[in-house]
Amino acid sequence: MVIGANPAENHPISFRWIQKALDKGATLISVDPRYTRTSQMANIYAQLRSGTDIAFIGGMINYVLQNELYPKDYVVHYTNAAHIVAETYSFDDGLFSGYDPETRSYDKSQWAFETDENGNIKRDPTLQHPRCVFQLLKKHYSRYDVDTVCNVTGTDKETYLKICEIYGSTGRMDKAGTILYAMGGTQHTVGSQNIRAYAILQMLLGNIGIQGGGVNALRGESNVQGSTDFALLYHDTPGYMGMPTTVDPTYEDFLNRITPKSGFKTNFPKFFTSLLKCYYGDNARPDNEFGYQFHPKITNGKNYSFLRMFDAMYRGEIEGLLLFGSNPVIGGANTYKLQEALGNLKWMVAVDLFETETSAFWQKAAGKDPASVQTEVIFLPACSSYEKEGSVTNSGRWMQYRWQAIKPKGESKPDLEIVHMLARRLKDLYKNEDTPAARPINALYWNYGDSDHPDIDLVCREINGYEWETKKQVSGFGELKDDGSTACGNWIYSGFYPGDENLAKRRDNKDTGMGNFLNWAYAWPANRRVIYNRASADPTGKPWSKDRIGIYWDEAQGKWVGNDVPDFVATKGPDDPTFNDPFIMQPDGKGAIFSAAMNEGPFPEHYEPYENPIKNVFSSVNLNPAVQLGDKALNTAGDISKYPIIATTYRVSEHWQSGIMTRNVPWLAELMPYMYVEISEELAKEKGIKPKDEVIISTARGEIKAYAMITKRFKPYKINGKTFHHIGMPWHYGYKGIATGEIANRLTPHIGDANSTIPEYKAFLCDIRRA
Amino acid sequence: MPEYIKFVDVTKCDGCRACMVACKNWNDLPVATEEYSGSIQSHEKVNAYTWNVITYTEHETADGGFEWLFRHQSCLHCVEAACEKACPEDAISHTEFGSVVVDHDKCVGCGYCVQNCIFDVIELATYKDKNGKEYRKAQKCTLCTDRLEQGLLPACVRACHSGCLQYGKKEEILAEAEKRLEKVKERFPNANIYNPPGINGSATVYLLAEKPSVYGLPEDPKLPASLTLWKDYLRPASKALMGVTLTAVLGAVIANARNKGPEEQEGGQDNQ
Repeated sequence: MVIGANPAENHPISFRWIQKALDKGATLISVDPRYTRTSQMANIYAQLRSGTDIAFIGGMINYVLQNELYPKDYVVHYTNAAHIVAETYSFDDGLFSGYDPETRSYDKSQWAFETDENGNIKRDPTLQHPRCVFQLLKKHYSRYDVDTVCNVTGTDKETYLKICEIYGSTGRMDKAGTILYAMGGTQHTVGSQNIRAYAILQMLLGNIGIQGGGVNALRGESNVQGSTDFALLYHDTPGYMGMPTTVDPTYEDFLNRITPKSGFKTNFPKFFTSLLKCYYGDNARPDNEFGYQFHPKITNGKNYSFLRMFDAMYRGEIEGLLLFGSNPVIGGANTYKLQEALGNLKWMVAVDLFETETSAFWQKAAGKDPASVQTEVIFLPACSSYEKEGSVTNSGRWMQYRWQAIKPKGESKPDLEIVHMLARRLKDLYKNEDTPAARPINALYWNYGDSDHPDIDLVCREINGYEWETKKQVSGFGELKDDGSTACGNWIYSGFYPGDENLAKRRDNKDTGMGNFLNWAYAWPANRRVIYNRASADPTGKPWSKDRIGIYWDEAQGKWVGNDVPDFVATKGPDDPTFNDPFIMQPDGKGAIFSAAMNEGPFPEHYEPYENPIKNVFSSVNLNPAVQLGDKALNTAGDISKYPIIATTYRVSEHWQSGIMTRNVPWLAELMPYMYVEISEELAKEKGIKPKDEVIISTARGEIKAYAMITKRFKPYKINGKTFHHIGMPWHYGYKGIATGEIANRLTPHIGDANSTIPEYKAFLCDIRRA
Repeated sequence: MPEYIKFVDVTKCDGCRACMVACKNWNDLPVATEEYSGSIQSHEKVNAYTWNVITYTEHETADGGFEWLFRHQSCLHCVEAACEKACPEDAISHTEFGSVVVDHDKCVGCGYCVQNCIFDVIELATYKDKNGKEYRKAQKCTLCTDRLEQGLLPACVRACHSGCLQYGKKEEILAEAEKRLEKVKERFPNANIYNPPGINGSATVYLLAEKPSVYGLPEDPKLPASLTLWKDYLRPASKALMGVTLTAVLGAVIANARNKGPEEQEGGQDNQ
């Protein structure tokens, strides 16, 4: 089931494998507001209103529960369905217990599990206890009946039921269903909970940990997985260990906060100390908290995401900005305002392949008077992926090494080299200074060669990790220590370069069983291809199905064997009390159908987008109650009375991201030369718009002009008894390059998800008229 | 040498257009951006500078369903090729690979091939010589004959990730195509294999999801009798007996006859 994604257009190489599955008899379901190239390739297409994924999936969860399509053994043993939830938990009219409207946040301690006198979570394996997760889930989603769901999503009821039936059939343990999602799922004020809803459905159907199952993110860029693994986001450190904040004054405080009492994450002190050792080398010692005080600490509770960063920039709180391959004037939300914010910077350094709209935000083409912009802009030419070597990590967590094909053109350089040169200059600049700013820089262990051209192999070896004294590489994260005797740049990748062979360079395309190709590149962690694969075997350790063997317990050998690297202690047998705890990253080893980790509640609940076409049908709470609203100057919202049409944005095959790499390639520009807006025949008729007309699309943020593309692939929805029109636009265009066009993100709202703060690019309100 | 063909299974095309880019790249074709078309289709049809085009057809089926039909449009490489027969200079010929190619040393840019192509594929490209004088040459897909000679797949086939474009032994491909046809008929009852008998088949064979006309293809294309008459009887005789001038005049007559369009030519009722 593809929901919130369009792989045929946006991940065409992934579609090669989907096509192979279709050839073998798989059923492909496409759920999308508009009929896409993926929808055409699918066996079933269902239209849903953008922003109603939770209603759609919640209804499926309800269907699976009502019709008992779930595999009970899997659900009881491998998920937290049997856990008893504390009496403090409640849900009433769209709000969970513990809500504080002042701070728009929850006291999550109210969503705890009930424990016995020894602190163990109470369980009811019969799933009958009224406060067990299973019963609470059932109660929560009983409100998501088919009629209410279709009323909210605008989906044809017959099609919806067909999808529930077919996808629900993957609850049989000899079958598998996979969910593919992308930014259509995430870019909402409820984005993270959309994905949670997919995950709950998959756990309920026993589709996690088995071959062919999973919740699969189709990344927006070839190395999103890798860059996230290496903590591109502000709130994390490499390997997802959290970020030191102002509530962690000492290293001990920090470790206490990030290290749970049980589960695999009890190893975090080993991994973090090895990370500090990699950062600060001999300056990371037991007597100085391994250099913890050199590490940056963010203000506890403060949001440093893209949206909030631009809020701060707009208020003039930020002096300088380094942009690597980033073009926020095209890719940000409400970009008229972002452009103004950029003008408050003293300086900006843009590193890119071509001059971007962002690096040119001060030019006349951007509508600016250059003389009025004081920001000093420096442009550094970067080279493309073919001009450098290094690795990218795909959605399957495979780290794949790539080699340099041609030397960089002109003065362009790889990002690594640019960062390396910058670090060397900074170290030189601060070397004679002893100030709070200078100390971390002076303490930094920067050992990638003595010239401006870094040795990337040294970077790889450091990521893998090594013994500090001998510099001998460790064979995996199992060898990392918390005493400063090992250094490791990212524990989850530890093991990819165990000796003298960089395993990410492997290209053995022999199927080692179940399509796992274990000798092709390297999958973190420990070369496992399917995480939580303990769940591929039943509670006695036998495969659920002969045709779908992940790993299984071999009694004779006394260990786990099979087609994959066990994501489990290999020798942990049936006598061990945690034998049935596949979800090793959870403290209790169980898949979290109920989770207190999310900001807006333990179960996903439908809320309307920031700009909502209807009042929420499920409760009196319209907007996700945990969404942070941000700066008023930027978060302008429009009303249905003035902007009656639902709008969304997306990408096309022919362009990529902000278009800067594709709109500059003549043969790609030729394929998609013009900015357009897709509208239904019905809306065109209503507005008197003819094919090829130019139209103006307006929102509370501004207006843009585009060509009208009148198509049967857009159909009005019937929502809550009323007809709504919707439109869609590619967001690739801008005023630089060969193919130019107006910027769709001039129109999008500057509001983000309650957990990740990703902007709500996918659902907003607009109006449209002939130009 | 066994016969090879290119096979286009449109039901596996996801419309990504990698074939278009690969073609321009390998054949070093210039950018020929067209006006906004009102749809995502980039070019109205193939032309002298764009040798393959993905067409996007929004089609409402008889039972009220909807299909967005994609087709990789390029030269079919007819076994009985109208362009070859119409060419007064013998510039167009079949290669050992079954591909129909233009010899640009012989092509004079007269355009008879353009007027006679049943599928509206071949067109004249305009160039300038070193003195700035314009001249024209017929251009179209070569099936990447230069790649085939080197044992490489056609560039479009090589770039296709979904299995829509294939190149292989004719017998094997056609046998597979029949099986595939049975399978896709569940969803596309009008699906058919397009390998027109009226031109003795083609070196590019399609599996179409809908009737040929839905894709703008002639349902049952035939070579006009006039062309056969011209190529195989009149022209050799006239060249031998009357010289080039009269040949050209006769050629013009043929060209005018062909201008009536493919539908009217069906069945070869033209008696010139």
